[in-house]
Amino acid sequence: MTEPSHPIGPTGPSETSGGDAPSVELPAVELRDIWKRFPGVVANAGASLRVRRGSVHAVLGENGAGKSTLMNVLSGVYRPDEGEVRIDGVAHHFRTPADALAAGVGMVHQEFRLVPSFTVAENVVLGACERIVRRPAVESAVEALAGRFGLAIEPDRPVWQLSMGERQRVEILKALWRDARILILDEPTAVLTPGEADELGAVLRHMADDGRTIVFISHKLHEVTGFCDEATVLRGGKTVAASLSVADTDASELAGLMVGASPVITERPPAREAGEIRLQVRDLRCSDDRGLPALNGLDLAVRSGQIVGVAGVAGNGQRELAQAIAGLRHVESGTVHLVGEDRTDATPRQRFADGLGYIPEDRIGVGLAPRLSVTDNAVLRTYGRHRRGPFLDAASATGHCRDLVDRFGVRTGPLDEPIAGLSGGNLQRLLVGRELVGGPRVVVAAQPTRGLDVQGVKAIQDLLVGERDAGAAVLLISEDLDELSTLADRLLVMHAGRIVAEFDPVTAERHAIGEAMIGHAETADDTGGDQ
Amino acid sequence: MNEASLIGLFEATVSFGALLYLAALGEMIAEKAGILNLGVEGMMAMGAVTGFVVALQTGNPWVAFVAAVAAGASVGLLHGFFTVVLGAEQVVSGLSLTILGLGLAAFVGRGSVGQPAGAEMVPVDWGPLSDIPWAGPILFAQSPFVYLAVIAGFVTWFVLWRTRLGLAVRAAGESASTADAAGHSVAGIRLAAVAVGGGLAGASGAYLTLSLTPQWADGIVAGRGWIAVALVIFGAWRPGRVAVGALLFGLTLALKTRLQTFGVDFSPILLSMLPYLLTISVLVVISIRSRNRPSPAPAALGIAYRREER
Amino acid sequence: MSRPVLVRREQVLRGGQPLAFAVGLAVALVVGVALLVGSGHDPLRVYERMFEASLGDPRAWSVTLNRAVPLGLAGLAVAVAGSMGLWNIGAEGQIMAGAIGAAWVVRIGEGWPSPVLITAMLAAAVLGGGLLALGPAIARARLGVNEILTTLMLNEVAIRLVQWLTHGRWKDPDSHNFPLAPMLPDNARLPGLFERAHMGVVLAAVVILLFGVAASRTAWGYELRVAGSSGATARYAGISLPRKILTVLVLSGGVAGFAGGIELSGTSDRITESLSNGFGFAGIIVAALALMRPSGVAAVALLFGAVQIGGQSIQTMGVSSSVSTILQALILFGAIAAGVLTRYRVEMVAGDATEAGR
Repeated sequence: MTEPSHPIGPTGPSETSGGDAPSVELPAVELRDIWKRFPGVVANAGASLRVRRGSVHAVLGENGAGKSTLMNVLSGVYRPDEGEVRIDGVAHHFRTPADALAAGVGMVHQEFRLVPSFTVAENVVLGACERIVRRPAVESAVEALAGRFGLAIEPDRPVWQLSMGERQRVEILKALWRDARILILDEPTAVLTPGEADELGAVLRHMADDGRTIVFISHKLHEVTGFCDEATVLRGGKTVAASLSVADTDASELAGLMVGASPVITERPPAREAGEIRLQVRDLRCSDDRGLPALNGLDLAVRSGQIVGVAGVAGNGQRELAQAIAGLRHVESGTVHLVGEDRTDATPRQRFADGLGYIPEDRIGVGLAPRLSVTDNAVLRTYGRHRRGPFLDAASATGHCRDLVDRFGVRTGPLDEPIAGLSGGNLQRLLVGRELVGGPRVVVAAQPTRGLDVQGVKAIQDLLVGERDAGAAVLLISEDLDELSTLADRLLVMHAGRIVAEFDPVTAERHAIGEAMIGHAETADDTGGDQ
Repeated sequence: MNEASLIGLFEATVSFGALLYLAALGEMIAEKAGILNLGVEGMMAMGAVTGFVVALQTGNPWVAFVAAVAAGASVGLLHGFFTVVLGAEQVVSGLSLTILGLGLAAFVGRGSVGQPAGAEMVPVDWGPLSDIPWAGPILFAQSPFVYLAVIAGFVTWFVLWRTRLGLAVRAAGESASTADAAGHSVAGIRLAAVAVGGGLAGASGAYLTLSLTPQWADGIVAGRGWIAVALVIFGAWRPGRVAVGALLFGLTLALKTRLQTFGVDFSPILLSMLPYLLTISVLVVISIRSRNRPSPAPAALGIAYRREER
Repeated sequence: MSRPVLVRREQVLRGGQPLAFAVGLAVALVVGVALLVGSGHDPLRVYERMFEASLGDPRAWSVTLNRAVPLGLAGLAVAVAGSMGLWNIGAEGQIMAGAIGAAWVVRIGEGWPSPVLITAMLAAAVLGGGLLALGPAIARARLGVNEILTTLMLNEVAIRLVQWLTHGRWKDPDSHNFPLAPMLPDNARLPGLFERAHMGVVLAAVVILLFGVAASRTAWGYELRVAGSSGATARYAGISLPRKILTVLVLSGGVAGFAGGIELSGTSDRITESLSNGFGFAGIIVAALALMRPSGVAAVALLFGAVQIGGQSIQTMGVSSSVSTILQALILFGAIAAGVLTRYRVEMVAGDATEAGR
């Protein structure tokens, strides 16, 4: 699409050009018209990517845009249904990540694959070393490699003692050790502090100058503009902008490309008049599972008869916010008020009794118990009400379950069978139905339509709107901006553990929302610096 | 308490220690690869009876020894097949293996009970070394099994901590998906580790019937397999510490019959509880300490591995 | 080049477990035939004898039922813990601890009326078993110490505790220096039921039934199922995991202890170090075959009882009783293999294919 703005010297064999390649220089990576379908979802619908050798190339897109799938195709985790993968002009059919690695493509996954009890050096050379491991030699070799790219690391330290940033360096070293010429980093800065992210940027630059090619998946525009050369933007499984020169674009244009022009769905359920405040969160602070700050003084309020949407890029504290309101995460400071009462320290059961319905992000494993029957899952919150002495009244529980299944249109087999056989949509109807059937006064829904088909999405959305119309206060946390624009009466944007902007969903410009999501909120100045 | 009886005590400590060490090393190797094998008792019994019966038939202790190792390894592989290939619960499969091994051993050995041994391993002759006071009889007049145990310990340490294969084995036991991603076959590694572990348990059993008490009787293993399982924990999954533990636990076994000779008024039965109680305390200490550092237990121990299903 | 790969079935085969069990039994019997022929016996006659001695007439049934009692209770103990995803490998020792408790009551309860004495014995047995499980339970609930290893270690401790008692304080002065505890007095013996069966059969059946009902019909059992299915879901439903772990493990130990009390009072002359006789370990197999369900435990225990009693009877034919030990282990191994096929299909896949495994 655009010519390379600053080519890096003469590299590689350029004569053996593969047919229709327009430029003289062969791209290090070329993905053409990649299709990948999963049951019920088309993850890549003709996506393409072209990466110049020796460059740092950003791949941008919202959640579900197909970035990860595309990268998994490139790194050999998935085989594409259609399309072509070319490395240095040569077509490849990777069957495993090992195949991809042999062709020089290494991937640093978001979830590290490290052995915590091993030392840095042991992790780096695992699967790729001499038969006899001479520790001092291996350690100095790893140190030398790290030094070459400016990666500060102590090769003899066990990995469990390392920070997230250091662990990531070990992952990068693993790929370099295996001589990866093309390095894919899947949202590498998601786990890093801002300082560490800047260091990573310098390292990537270093590697690119060394002739390696970096594919960098990110949400954060300042990083893209800060240390990437080019950017490709994906939306809906397709490439909407290919190899834009970062020098010729800006954050605002990229944000616009990421979120698209306007929502497809325009029919908005008419808003009702909002009533009293039902859910109030004040100055809430929590840590995530790793003990890092996740909520940094968050405030919000939801009124009766109102859907408040929370938009944000994954990993900015949404999960922790939902858990803290539901009583499933330790609150370090701040308060949660439900229907006017301070319930910061209440148990999940007490909060349910107060009228809080909670639809957790993890449908199976939190919201539903996978090996239990439909009935057992249907009464998870209310089994206390189906008791007769110590006994659980099976007839009453089954009756309740049958009501629920009928009312919410859950398609199931026998009610005493495990829920494992239910489809995603039916599982979610069962879960949402269970939380809504008692007429909750407050509803917290985290990613309630993720992974559902069109019908399932519509059904769940209708239920939430119905609850609002019945007077409930609904907090809807979603990564789907279309959904939020359609349903929310107020739209909040969350970034780095705080609410950084509020929009009127009807009048808001999408690119403004997009910028707020990545920490460029025009409505607030105090948002960039995370901690 | 005279010198001779003290020497006798330490000599017995070393031989019991070696007996326990062989079996514990085997269990440690399997656990390092992520497989908990509670069938040690059964594998030892199979090794013991195979060694004895083959010695009866061939009259050659070394042939008998090899057969015992092979028997232990085969029984170990059975556990591997069920837990690695079929993904069965390791606890259940291992305990069944103990029951199966004890039953099979009794069946195979039913005609050999009370018979004199067909062959014995003679103590290694170290020449003048065996004349050294104290050290001579304690260290240099032992059965070949003792030296085998020492060698096995060094080899195990070297392979596990100084080779590519060892790195792969430990990775399979710590994080099978990481080992898989690094291009190692987790199933292959685990099967091999269980087989080697079984072989060492078989060798330990053969030590009983070819050297220590050269005869066969039902129940000859007498719970030493369980001590071996305890030893692995006590030694925090490291060959050196397991060796120290083996000597300590070997001392309790050696003392059991000698307490009275030494005029110590302490119940030998209570003494024999010590290894288990010590091991439980070690487990508790490990858990308390692992709040801020990883436990020495292999992190993937007992967890079946299958590639992610999608 | 192609190789077999296990592919998870979307739905577990219905009725698969009884089928797997039958396959296991068949595998065991076939291997048994090989063993018997190999050792010069007529397998049909041996099996016929085993059947007659264990299930052939009321007397045989009574002996088999007596044997099924400790097996079933030990199996139940394992199943109670297993329904929450915990492993109690310590039933063997808890049976001993229960027997110690019961035997202690006998020592202090001289001259008590039989019903009082037996009730006290059984209560002490439950306490003894529960007490032995208490340590591992607290360690697991509070510190996360692996209960498999602690309960396993305590087996050996409990057995030695019995040894220590029978060699020392509890030694019968009239036993001519043999380390034997005194014979139980008649008032400490469980009343008979029919033939040689004792009341323990009824008690065990009641306990298993009670737990079956508790597990499937009460709120307590429901909470257990939720906690066993997913700890995060349990928290979401407001169930306290540490408290559940503690109660379940102690209860599991209590059930095993109860087995020890019944075994002492019902079939044993006195407390000996071989009283638990592998029942605790067999109980793990029983529970595994029963998929941790109380109803299944009863059925499997009956079958294992029959195999054990049948195995004892063939010794008079010159067949080693080890055959029955082997059969028991083989039933499980056969059933595991067959059980895998209820959850997975075998598919042939070309080459080193990976996509099929994902």
